[in-house]
Amino acid sequence: MSFDFLAEPLAQGFMRRALLAGTVLGGAGALLGVFIVQRGLAFLSDGLAHATFGGMALGLLVGASPDHALWVALPFTALVAVAIGAVRRGSGLGSDVATGVFFALAFALGVLFLGLRPAKDSLNVEALLFGSILAISPDVLLAMLIVASLTTVALALAWSRLAYATFDPELAALSGVPVAALEHLLLVLTALVVVVGVKTVGVILVSAFIVIPAATATLLARTLAGIGALAVILGVVGSALGLVLSYHLNAASGATIIVTLAAAFFAALFLRRG
Amino acid sequence: MSDPAGLALVACDLGVTLGARRVLDGVSLSIRTGEFVCLVGPNGGGKTTFLKVALGLLAPDAGSMQVLGGSPDRARRRIGYLPQRKAFVRDFPATAAELVLANRSGAWPLRIGGRDREQARAALSRVGGEPLLDRPLAGLSGGETQRVFLARALVIEPELLLLDEPTAGVDAKGREEFLELLAEVAARDDLTAVLVTHHLAAVQRLADRVAYLDGRLLAWGPPQEALGGLEARGAFQTGDHERPVLCEED
Repeated sequence: MSFDFLAEPLAQGFMRRALLAGTVLGGAGALLGVFIVQRGLAFLSDGLAHATFGGMALGLLVGASPDHALWVALPFTALVAVAIGAVRRGSGLGSDVATGVFFALAFALGVLFLGLRPAKDSLNVEALLFGSILAISPDVLLAMLIVASLTTVALALAWSRLAYATFDPELAALSGVPVAALEHLLLVLTALVVVVGVKTVGVILVSAFIVIPAATATLLARTLAGIGALAVILGVVGSALGLVLSYHLNAASGATIIVTLAAAFFAALFLRRG
Repeated sequence: MSDPAGLALVACDLGVTLGARRVLDGVSLSIRTGEFVCLVGPNGGGKTTFLKVALGLLAPDAGSMQVLGGSPDRARRRIGYLPQRKAFVRDFPATAAELVLANRSGAWPLRIGGRDREQARAALSRVGGEPLLDRPLAGLSGGETQRVFLARALVIEPELLLLDEPTAGVDAKGREEFLELLAEVAARDDLTAVLVTHHLAAVQRLADRVAYLDGRLLAWGPPQEALGGLEARGAFQTGDHERPVLCEED
């Protein structure tokens, strides 16, 4: 890998911002993904991404700009996450069922909210669905840094108890672990990371940041701490590599990052079987 | 510290309804400190529900239960609990040592230092499971898994041990070995224990007293007495069992 391979894209200001956004999201998403994958909640992150569409649409309906709609989407999606948890615990229905209901409802509300906007207000729905890491504004980047820092600190502090509750909620509760509170924490953090991630790769692909590095690390590492460390490395390096590759290949950045992360997953799958 | 009256568990007219079903109704019994009690009865008879009330995981809607002289919630950290054999998510990278230490500290160990490792080793050696120390749980047999879970329960030096069908799903050889181990540990450590089981061999080998639960407490007493009538009568009859004195005081 020549020096120019990295230096040329990083000479551009928008690429440096994109690199920071991608690696921050890649690292925080991967750390969160360790518990999402272990708990079999991959569909939850996908569902929350679709719920984000509803939150962004609500923000636009109340007059926010596409960037500032993020600040409406954050509490909206966090509320959807808490509602999914409450319905799951209260009804005994599976997490996938509760997620399926709320994801469809929030997405449908998003479509209705967009329809209620004045016809003169144009909107690039494609940008909302697919994101644009190269066009990250300083405001969104700041939101990403705040959410990523919050996620990392919260997970670091709760790691041991969250791990116990993930292994077996009943045994953890008997050992004094606040299982329900930790589940809410995990759901809300997932919602926050998903919302800021939507600005990077869009509604459709954002859950890949959470699921793929953690799934790859699960195939390779032997301890939970090892899975966490490896997932973060894969998330950060995969995002950076994908972004740089997209620059040289003149390809869609978000999609190239996801393909890079997925390539690592399949390589790990191959290694493990070999 | 157990109850001054020497009673580890006292249930008084205990009633639990789950959904529309009355799972336990009017159950009264007391378990003395140092006693090994077996709970038997048909599936759905309320045996596991009884344990969950004792653990503070379920609240009764009638009557009361005192555990180790107080409410089940307060006694929780003094109770060792061995659940039915767990179906593990194979991806969760848990080792025997981590599981044992998690119960001691109330948190999953991030890394295991030398002192922690020795404590896990000591707990596992009490149940003959020392070679399992670094083994992943996902790779253990049913009998080995329950051996590790017994070490997990014992590591907190419990004053009361609750075991919920620990040999369910374990093959015959594993079940025999586990019962032998349990008998050995119970005798050596003078355990106060409640074992839910379907196996007569377990009752005969371990029980000081037996409770037959089918929603209500249908028989209660020493094994010969409580189980003897079963074959003669074809089924347990409502027992005119002695109501714990502490219930009258309430």
